[in-house]
This record gives sequence, C-alpha cells and structure tokens, in this order.
Amino acid sequence: VTEAPVPTQNQHPEPGNGQAPPQRTPQVVESEEDEDEELTLKYGAKHVIMLFVPVTLCMVVVVATIKSVSFYTQNDGQRLIYTPFPEDTDTIGQRALNSVLNATIMISVIIVMTMVLVLLYKYRCYRVIQGWLFLSSLLLLFFFSFIYLKEVFKTYNVAMDWITLAVIVWNFGVVGMICIHWKGPLRLQQAYLIMISALMALVFIKYLPEWTAWLILAVISVYDLLAVLCPKGPLRILVETAQERNEPIFPALIYSSTMVWLVNMADTGLGHRPMTRKNSTEAPITQVESQSLALGPAPLSPPEDDGGFTPNWMGHQEHQLGPLQSTDETRREIQQLPSARPPVMDDDDEERGVKLGLGDFIFYSMLVGKASAAASGDWNTTLASFVAILIGLCLTLLLLAIFKKALPALPISIFFGLVFYFATDNLVRPFMDQLALHQFYI
Amino acid sequence: MNLERLPNEEKLTLCRKYYFGNVYNVCVWGFAFLPFLWLVNVVWFFKEAFVKPTYTEQLQIKTYVKCSGLGFLLWVAVLTTWITIFQHFRAEWGEVGDYLSFTIPLGIP
Repeated sequence: VTEAPVPTQNQHPEPGNGQAPPQRTPQVVESEEDEDEELTLKYGAKHVIMLFVPVTLCMVVVVATIKSVSFYTQNDGQRLIYTPFPEDTDTIGQRALNSVLNATIMISVIIVMTMVLVLLYKYRCYRVIQGWLFLSSLLLLFFFSFIYLKEVFKTYNVAMDWITLAVIVWNFGVVGMICIHWKGPLRLQQAYLIMISALMALVFIKYLPEWTAWLILAVISVYDLLAVLCPKGPLRILVETAQERNEPIFPALIYSSTMVWLVNMADTGLGHRPMTRKNSTEAPITQVESQSLALGPAPLSPPEDDGGFTPNWMGHQEHQLGPLQSTDETRREIQQLPSARPPVMDDDDEERGVKLGLGDFIFYSMLVGKASAAASGDWNTTLASFVAILIGLCLTLLLLAIFKKALPALPISIFFGLVFYFATDNLVRPFMDQLALHQFYI
Repeated sequence: MNLERLPNEEKLTLCRKYYFGNVYNVCVWGFAFLPFLWLVNVVWFFKEAFVKPTYTEQLQIKTYVKCSGLGFLLWVAVLTTWITIFQHFRAEWGEVGDYLSFTIPLGIP
C-alpha cells in the first residue's frame, strides 16, 4: 500500500459549531478543492521521485547480488516449509500443479497471519505484536546479514576471521535495531529499511522455486487489492478499529521519505517510536494493506502512520526450522493504521513525504531479482521489468493523489512487471538475439 | 528523525544516549563494542555541535561528540591493526589461522 501525504483539505479547524466541511458554502468548498487539488498535484511529482530512489536502490542491490553472488541462484534442494512441493518434476502438468499448491499454501498462511494480527489488535494484545516484530527484525538484521556477508566473502575469495566478522555483524545489527525501532538519523533509517528489504527479497528469490514465485507474486497482488479495498478485508477492519480507538497501531516498517518527530506519540501507551509523521489533516486516512505471512512469531510492525496513505503491510514471520530441509523465513508485517491527527503543524508542507510499505519494496525487488536470476536472464528482461515496476509505481502514486486514500501499491506494478517480463522474455529477447546474430542493426 | 524539530535538551539526551549506546538510561552499551554507533553519533550531531550558534546544551553535546569521535578512531585503529595482522599471518599460523577463519579463500595458501 502506498501512502501519500494528505493534502491540506482538513487542515482548517472547525469553528465552534463543529460542522463538517461539506456544509460550508459551495463557493468556499470549490475554491478550497481547487487549492487542494493543486497542492496535491504539486506534491505529487516530488514525492514520486522521492520514492523512486529507494525502490531503485533496493532493486539495484538485489540485482547486483544476484548477478555476482551465485549462492542466491543455486538450487540446493532446500525449500521453505511453506512450499513443500518440489518443482523439478517430470511432467509440466505435475510442475504446474505443484506450484499452484505451493502458492495456495503461502497465501493461506498469509491470510491466517493477517487474521491473527487483526485479532491480536482487536483484543489489545499490543505487547505480543510488538515483541513479534522485534524478534522478526532481530532475525533479519543478524542472521540474514550474516549469511549474506558469508556468501559475499566466499564469492570474492576473501579471508575473514570470526572476530572481525562478529564485530561487523554486531554493529550492523545493533545500530539497525536502534535505528528502526527507536530513533535515528533519517537517512540511516531509510538505508536500513532498504537493506532489510533487499535481504528479504534475496531470501525469497533463493528459496522459492520458479513457477511458485511468479504465481505467488500474482496472487499476492490480487490479495493486496482485495484486502485493502474490500469492506470486509482484514486490513480494513484493522484500520477501522484503530480509527475507532483513535490510536496509532504499532510501529511498522514503512519506508517514509520524510520523518517528523512526533512529540506526543512517545507518550502513548504503546510506546511507539517517534517515527511517524505528523500530518496536518485531521481526518485519518487509513487503508491498510497487509500482506502478512504468518510463519513465525515475529512480524514487524509498521510505524504508525498518520500521514495520508497507508503503507503496505508486510507480514514477516520467523519460521523456525527444525529439520534440515527447511529454512528460516521471515515475513514482516507492516501495518499501518492512521490515527487521528494531532493539531496542525505549520511547517508541515515540506515534511510531507510519501510512505511505502516494506512489503512493496520486497516484492518489487523480488520480481526484478527473479527476472535477472532466471536461466535466460539477461539485461533486457531485467531492465524491462524494472521500468515496468517504476511505471506502475508512478501510476499508483497518481491514483493515490487522485483518490486521497490508501491504496494497494502492489497490483499495478506487479501486473505491469509480470506482463513486461514474460513479454520481453518470450518475444523481445529472441528477436534481439536474432538481430544480433545476423548483425542487423535497427 | 529530524533534528531541528527537537528541543535542545532532547538533543542532548539523544546524543548522550547514542554515546552510551543505551536506550533506557542505565547501562553503558556504547562501550560494548559499538564503534558504528559512535560513528553515527559523530556524523549526526556534528553540525549541531560545531556549526550551529551556541546554545546552553551545546557544550555538553560537543563533549559527547568529541568523545564518540575519539572512541571511534580508537576502534578503527585496533581493528585495522588486527585485520592487517590476521591477513598477513593467517597462512603462517597454521591451525590457529584456520580456526579463526570464517571463510578461507580457495587457491591461496
């Protein structure tokens, strides 16, 4: 889900009668709306660029790793326990069936996790959720980065001793935890979020077999769409509950392009970090899109967002693997529930940034990574899917600006990405190959 | 986090906490092998401590930034020395070298 800053529509404090804006004279409303629209569009372009950079960075990291470190493209025969059916079967039919089954299992896991989260939230088990998220980010920051470093060192044939490695991983992890869950410089926080999204995407790329991965991407986009926009979607329920209670949910992992120190948030009982932005609007805009994979005990919770848009939900869960064949998987759950906005901040204009859930980052990078990791992967397909995703993101943000409520960020981008990937892979690439073969330049 | 938004005392507290590396005011983690934390402290609060016009808490922030900087440099020196020693003598140490190694390069003794 992407969230965009809400325009100044509701900024004006109501006069004593507490009437809603629509009850003002039509003239006033009109000019206000015009102003608002202008403001919206004016902020739109800048924020789109602000989101392009991190998404691009994340994808660049993932693609660079895939191309250089062969570990992530090796098929070790290991699979996640969520995708028990192997894909190296004899017949295509069998393979298709297996991947469909795998995708179904994943999606049901995600749905279950979302439900659990909604229930937990409804019954006010905040501590559980927070602990969950904390553990999840812990796993991600320490364990996965450890594996990543190991593979990078192996690839570049560098000797590394345990002591130095311990210091590096320890520093990286601890500062990461502090930055994400407490306070830290904005840039560093953004950098960490990008890095953990990339790590997560790499894990998915390695451990999800080909057809399953594509299927999952498609199904998740559909689920995203449904969960955010349907009235009975779990995320919607979550959002509405949060709205009723007038409180921010929990710190989530949402990438925000700007952060405003929210003084009073620190006093809330949930003990949230002051990561959220203060929004000048008073009407909460909430749409939470959750993609949660309930795998383990620790989803990462999104920071509260009282900005305009709701970020994507991403469910992270750690999954403890006992037997040798499975591996840990973490999914992060990012929820964003808007809360009632505190009173207006004057200089809020520059501070409005756009928010994008980490789940979005992860799936975008996963798509591009898979495109470059595929057996026939060459730069054409990778670039094509990359461009497609950015276009999708642009469109999503445009829609965001128009509709002014939280929207799922996955469907459009993933749809474009998939279309472009398969089209390029099957149509453009052979064409270009033939052209090069015959030395025919167009 | 936007530093400008914070009132001055909060900045001081934040700087101090980053120095000590603790979150809840008691233990002294920053000394717990976290040069990166100190680096972040230095970079983040550098402008506050040295560039901005003076205010009451600035002196303390300056102290913390300086101490963090010193600590970080010390750590860098120690680590560089150790890494140089290790890389140079790894082959010669035989078993101990292998035991210490996390990844062993292929094709090089």
